Amino acid sequence: MNTAIVLGIAGLYLGTCLLVGMLPGRKSSDSAAGYVAGDRALGLVVMYFITGATIFSAYAFLGAPGWAFSRGGAALYMLAYGTLGFVPFYFLGPRAARLGKRYGFVTQAEMVAHRFSRPGIAATMALISVLAFVPYLALQMQGAGIVLEAMTGGAVDEKLGALLVYGLVLVYVLKSGVLGVGWTNTFQGVFMLALAWGMGLYLPRVLYGGIGPMFERIAAERPGFLKPPGLTGGGTPWPWSEYTSSVLVSIAGFSVFPHLFMKAFSARDERTIRRTVVLYPSFQLFVVPILILGFAGVLLANAPERADGILPHLMMNADVPPVLVGLFCAGALAASMSSGDAIAHATASIVVRDGWVTALRRPLDAATERLAIRIVLVAVVAVSYGLAVLYTGSLVELLLYAYGPIVQFAPAVYATLFWRRATGRGVQAGLIAGIATNILFASNADLRPFDVHAGVYGLAANLTALVLVSLLTSHEDEEREREFLATSAEPGD
Amino acid sequence: MPARVLDVLLGIYLFVCAACLVWPGFAWFAAREEPFVLGLPFAFAWSVGWVIATFLALCAYHVARSRVGGSRA
Repeated sequence: MNTAIVLGIAGLYLGTCLLVGMLPGRKSSDSAAGYVAGDRALGLVVMYFITGATIFSAYAFLGAPGWAFSRGGAALYMLAYGTLGFVPFYFLGPRAARLGKRYGFVTQAEMVAHRFSRPGIAATMALISVLAFVPYLALQMQGAGIVLEAMTGGAVDEKLGALLVYGLVLVYVLKSGVLGVGWTNTFQGVFMLALAWGMGLYLPRVLYGGIGPMFERIAAERPGFLKPPGLTGGGTPWPWSEYTSSVLVSIAGFSVFPHLFMKAFSARDERTIRRTVVLYPSFQLFVVPILILGFAGVLLANAPERADGILPHLMMNADVPPVLVGLFCAGALAASMSSGDAIAHATASIVVRDGWVTALRRPLDAATERLAIRIVLVAVVAVSYGLAVLYTGSLVELLLYAYGPIVQFAPAVYATLFWRRATGRGVQAGLIAGIATNILFASNADLRPFDVHAGVYGLAANLTALVLVSLLTSHEDEEREREFLATSAEPGD
Repeated sequence: MPARVLDVLLGIYLFVCAACLVWPGFAWFAAREEPFVLGLPFAFAWSVGWVIATFLALCAYHVARSRVGGSRA
């Protein structure tokens, strides 16, 4: 393997990202709305890629082929939830955008907390978001480090690789805020799409003579492997109840992921939000070549130890030209960075806006707020880096516990925007019941009465508490809530 | 077409699509490997087909609904 070529391409790629990320910084205003929401002026192209590329992380780039490789038909779950997951945003997004414009919101939690005059809600949501995002960011860093180390044959070790890549991310996010994230994600999104399709068509041809012959051989040698619902991580059959409930829980929670939802406040207008949702399934087709790549590893004689390592393993063993390995390396970095930058930026904004300004009711002036977000951003990246290099347990496992509860924001967000009778106490009770139930069943799978995703139990507890407590309590500030809902339902553009 | 009809049609489409991507639709109609479609196993091609169909359905809804006007959310 020619390490110099691989390193050269990866270096060139990182340099271009830095340039693309630094340029827009001069354009945005000096306010929090400028730094966090791009002065509410993002157009369709940037919105499309910022939502698409943010979701396709290093975890998708390495994890999705891992699923196809080890769990067969179960991997189709990723196509299923992605198809419908963003559709609710067609209706949620414009409502949130109207409220954002009127009240100056830049995060999801401050919108919920404002309607119900309950800073405690913002505090709960901010805490859960940070608990989920820090390990998520650490995982993206590990992904970047692992790829650089594998592809350079150890010339750049994992820790140094992660430091280099995320040092760079820090520079352009500090400088340009959401605009830096948006423009780099556009560049990286195009790059990832092109690379995934190129490799997805090329590798099966080299290894099996084409995609058709590859699947026919897998079907002949591993009968039933390609059929849904596929296998569990342990290799036992995955029941339909788990497959179905996992897809449905993911669809319910997808639109309310805080880093994604926040982008409603960044869009230029409602039409841009709707068009982004309409176009989103086209980005979803990115999953197709990624899964094909994973399936290409199924019949390999020498399998890697970890399923997530199948893609780098294939690259190193399939006699691929060094230029392609370099491009692949850059593609994996693109996946890591385009999610990592958005997550880091969202986490810092959430800590300052929700954890400090809204929850503690301590308003800051524009310049101080922007400075505070930048300081927290450095701290978030530093803590995540520490976790990435020092934590010896499984980050994926940590993430499963932390990320699951975010789905429990869904009833709160839907109720805030659509349900007149919802009360602050009801929403708070729902959040707490949902998160506690979710964590209980996610960490003790044996306690579940039926084989369905832990999030289903969480959502059931969440909805029950939300509805019951709302019906038993009264509005704290009825006039404020009436005005809030009237604004959200105004006819838009 | 009136706005209400378009909203109901979208709702029906989304429900059918969801049912076909999980149990029971997926299990009944498409949980098999053959026939291969464009080289992909049938279950895989079925899932990809729904991604494309959803893209087209959302485009059609969006265009039609923008012409009719009125509140969508």
